[in-house]
Amino acid sequence: MIGIGSEFRGDDAAGLEVARRLRRVNSATCIDGSLDMINLWDGWSDVALVDATRSGSAPGTIQRFDGKKTDFPSSAFVSTHAIGTGEAIRLAREMGLLPDKLTVYGIEAGSFAIGAPLTPSVAGAVDVLVEELDNA
Amino acid sequence: MSSERRIEVDYLARVEGEGAMYLELDGSEVRDLKFKIFEPPRFFEAFLRGRKHSEAPDITARICGICPIAYQMSACNALEAAAGATITNGIRSLRRLIYFGEWLESHGLHVFFLHAPDFLGYDNGIAMAKDHPERVEAGLRLKKLGNEIMTVVGGREIHPVNVKVGGFYRAPRVEELASLKKELEWGLGAAIDTAEWVSTLSFPDFERDYEFVAVRHPDEYGMLDGRIVSSAGLDISPEEWPEHFIESHVEWSNALHARKVGGGSYHVGPMARYSLNYEWLSPAAKEAASRAGLGPVCRNPFQSIVVRSVEMVHACETALEIVANYKQPDAPSVEVDPSGKIGHGVSEAPRGLLYHRYEVDDDGLIADAHIVPPTSQNQLSIEDDLRAYVPLHAHLDDATLQWQLEQAIRNYDPCISCATHFLDLEVKRTDR
Repeated sequence: MIGIGSEFRGDDAAGLEVARRLRRVNSATCIDGSLDMINLWDGWSDVALVDATRSGSAPGTIQRFDGKKTDFPSSAFVSTHAIGTGEAIRLAREMGLLPDKLTVYGIEAGSFAIGAPLTPSVAGAVDVLVEELDNA
Repeated sequence: MSSERRIEVDYLARVEGEGAMYLELDGSEVRDLKFKIFEPPRFFEAFLRGRKHSEAPDITARICGICPIAYQMSACNALEAAAGATITNGIRSLRRLIYFGEWLESHGLHVFFLHAPDFLGYDNGIAMAKDHPERVEAGLRLKKLGNEIMTVVGGREIHPVNVKVGGFYRAPRVEELASLKKELEWGLGAAIDTAEWVSTLSFPDFERDYEFVAVRHPDEYGMLDGRIVSSAGLDISPEEWPEHFIESHVEWSNALHARKVGGGSYHVGPMARYSLNYEWLSPAAKEAASRAGLGPVCRNPFQSIVVRSVEMVHACETALEIVANYKQPDAPSVEVDPSGKIGHGVSEAPRGLLYHRYEVDDDGLIADAHIVPPTSQNQLSIEDDLRAYVPLHAHLDDATLQWQLEQAIRNYDPCISCATHFLDLEVKRTDR
């Protein structure tokens, strides 16, 4: 499981928080869903990604996508750099570098305020996802 | 009947951070031209005040996720210079090695993902991957090699934790470094191949008589430390930087513009390094340069992609030499006490000269810090390039001209995040 996000931008930390709390699943974190993600899943066959989304749905909404099939728009996942989660998945797909199974979880963010903790609805979504992934 | 044209790029693609370009043309005459950096300032220099001098490498590393080593090295150089401390050869070798790792990571990203698509007519690296998977794969692997070097020497690949003022917290064992050998050998071949490939791209016929400024070391290709030299004959120690260069604020950029005292723009980065340090390139790098058709000086900014590739050859070959000759140093660091002193340090970030200055109080706390990243030094040079390029190509339609001007900006691999910082901002249009 790979959690993506920044510690310092409010709900952007949701993916990191899920990664930290998993007990039975191997997890890693990265700041951006960038090219480094492709290195992280190298050698793994069943991978889950968790990132914050900005899709317009209610904060805390969890969305599940089959990363092998979904075509993510560039702006679906928030990234501070030129290559974001959606682009990295597309690139890996073009090059045949996707794992056998890739599930992408988006947690809709409520706030990206600097230095803020997770908002209550996003913290609740993190609980739900930790439970789900650890018992998968 | 008006021949007035306006080209605005509100949000530049394939650069690190957030910037824009504005151009107003009358016929072939440039009325107004601005390379805008609209990311807000980051105040790192203010964060440093009151912190322990030993925290400077870790705090300044956070300025950039692409070139943290550059910040760590310039900070260490400045504080060690303040203390009058000299590091051992073993520590120097490790510092050079980790710095080469950063160059590979940064150049690998720029050459393959940010710059090559410009020449091949793709909007981005993903579109390019479809038709050139083997190139993009080589790029990913070179970048990964850079990451591995950073991890082995620095403890982790981004914002390494093992660097300290005076050296390292822990020196890697011989066998840890030896684990890099095989992949470095692959990297050397891949970089040579890359230099040859990028030399076949088609480059706009454009040169400018730059004043190149870079670090020069008595017997190494300028990178880790040394004096500051220029193609106009400047040859100064790092502490003389403030006498020769000056920063000022312009209203369209949140990054300070640097210029020569009493003069105009100058150029830092791979082309400046290459042209001022050619004789110290490794043998394979020199050969790759000559096969790519580069002379000892390169003044066509579009060819910077070739220079970066040649530097990757140099990085792999020299890193192999360091790994082969490595002996674990007796002590991973030397004592450094800069209390009550002022120190200046420079090194060559992937994008060019990075200058740091620290004033440390009697208790060892930082009283004042001054950091000048390469992109803020290159802003004027970028604008001068555009100003020179536009009149020669004013006949092009807007879309083509815009593409080429964006490419001219990406020649510098500008790191706007270093020059300022990211925040979720709305683009402000400058309507007149």
